[in-house]
Amino acid sequence: MPLSILLPMVVIGVAGIAVLLHVMGLSQPRRFADADEARAAWDREFPEIPANAATLCHDGSAALIATDEGPGVVWPMGADSTARRIDHARIERTTDGLILRLPDFTAPRIRLRLDGDETTEWLDRLEQSA
Amino acid sequence: MSDQITYPDVVNFAVPFFIAAILIELTWIVLKRRGGRYETRDALTSLIMGAGNVASGIALGFIAWGFFLVLWELTPLDLGTSAWVVLLCFVLDDLRYYWVHRFGHRIRWVWASHVNHHSSQHYNLTTALRQTWTGTFTFMMVVRAPLILLGFHPAMVLFCGGLNLIYQFWIHTEAIGKTPRWFEAVMNTPSHHRVHHGRNARYLDANYAGVFIVWDKLFGTFVPEQEHEKPDYGLVHNLGTFNPLRVAFHEWLSIFRDVTRPGLSLRDRLGYAFAPPGWSHDGSRGMTPEIKACHLARHPEDRDTPGFE
Ligand SMILES: [Zn+2]
Ligand SMILES: [Zn+2]
Repeated sequence: MPLSILLPMVVIGVAGIAVLLHVMGLSQPRRFADADEARAAWDREFPEIPANAATLCHDGSAALIATDEGPGVVWPMGADSTARRIDHARIERTTDGLILRLPDFTAPRIRLRLDGDETTEWLDRLEQSA
Repeated sequence: MSDQITYPDVVNFAVPFFIAAILIELTWIVLKRRGGRYETRDALTSLIMGAGNVASGIALGFIAWGFFLVLWELTPLDLGTSAWVVLLCFVLDDLRYYWVHRFGHRIRWVWASHVNHHSSQHYNLTTALRQTWTGTFTFMMVVRAPLILLGFHPAMVLFCGGLNLIYQFWIHTEAIGKTPRWFEAVMNTPSHHRVHHGRNARYLDANYAGVFIVWDKLFGTFVPEQEHEKPDYGLVHNLGTFNPLRVAFHEWLSIFRDVTRPGLSLRDRLGYAFAPPGWSHDGSRGMTPEIKACHLARHPEDRDTPGFE
């Protein structure tokens, strides 16, 4: 097939589907309803490291997980979620929360939207272990 | 004469059909409120991976093609182009697909390329298009060598491979439950391939089939979808990024980091490149048998059920 047909077809197809999904409201990120849901999300990624406690942030967009092997975070990946242990992270305080930079090519940057008190508490707990 | 035969580049011609089918599946899901899920960034990443796969085929396809032409020069055999030969080629190429796909899950070097097909936590028709950009570097084209040496023309072999990929498109859906019994028995179906995309301990390293599920039954890798255990799609360790470049290259980088660690023996370095995914020199990571054993320790009731036999 000539590129002059294939290329526009692919570009228009990909962009069209993406715009359509967005307009249909399918870009809403996952929110954890409660701490149990956040724990379940952690357990799904790290069944071998049990969560001792989960602290959900105010809007349910992330949770800080306490384990025997140090802290971890669960956060939304689109409509789903993922999780990482937080060690060797560079932590930066921003006006609306924290940015964690991990030496992990598959999760280089985690942006956490937290209110003021949460930011202080999470930063404290993450830095204690660092 | 048969050196000049050409077959259409079927995968490219299927693009409009892919787009139409995605729109139909999406409409079905929205109207029926069941049968799957779509999310914008996930779907966009899958589609970009698909487009990049076509681009890498255009840019690097000449390497495999050149290799096949050399083999074609070498072989004294020529089976011709009759319909029966094409059919036989399709079946044997599907056997080739089974083994390449099995290597893709059991050899980290090949997994580095194939992992991205499994990196979505969704399972819809866009997931089918989430294809590798780095397939050429796995050198899995050597698995096709016997076919060409047997006298199947390289263009025919690629044509059959293209049809194989197109067949696999429609099975990436949750909108279809089970097909008729006879079809499930012989063919790869949405149900069988959902199992293949499951990260559940039960479903790891199962159902490698392309078109015919009989290969998995023959070689002992078949696990039927269980009514009581829905596949949880994605990777054992799910990605924390939608960036297509990271999706495409992360496992290659991870191999590089492991292989170049200080203080390892040559054997360890080779292990990090070619042993099954999850292998580590100190046993600190888990491969499929360990993941299954961990699961059974927590869920002994699953012992001797499908996927844990
Ligand atoms: Zn696979
Ligand atoms: Zn698939």
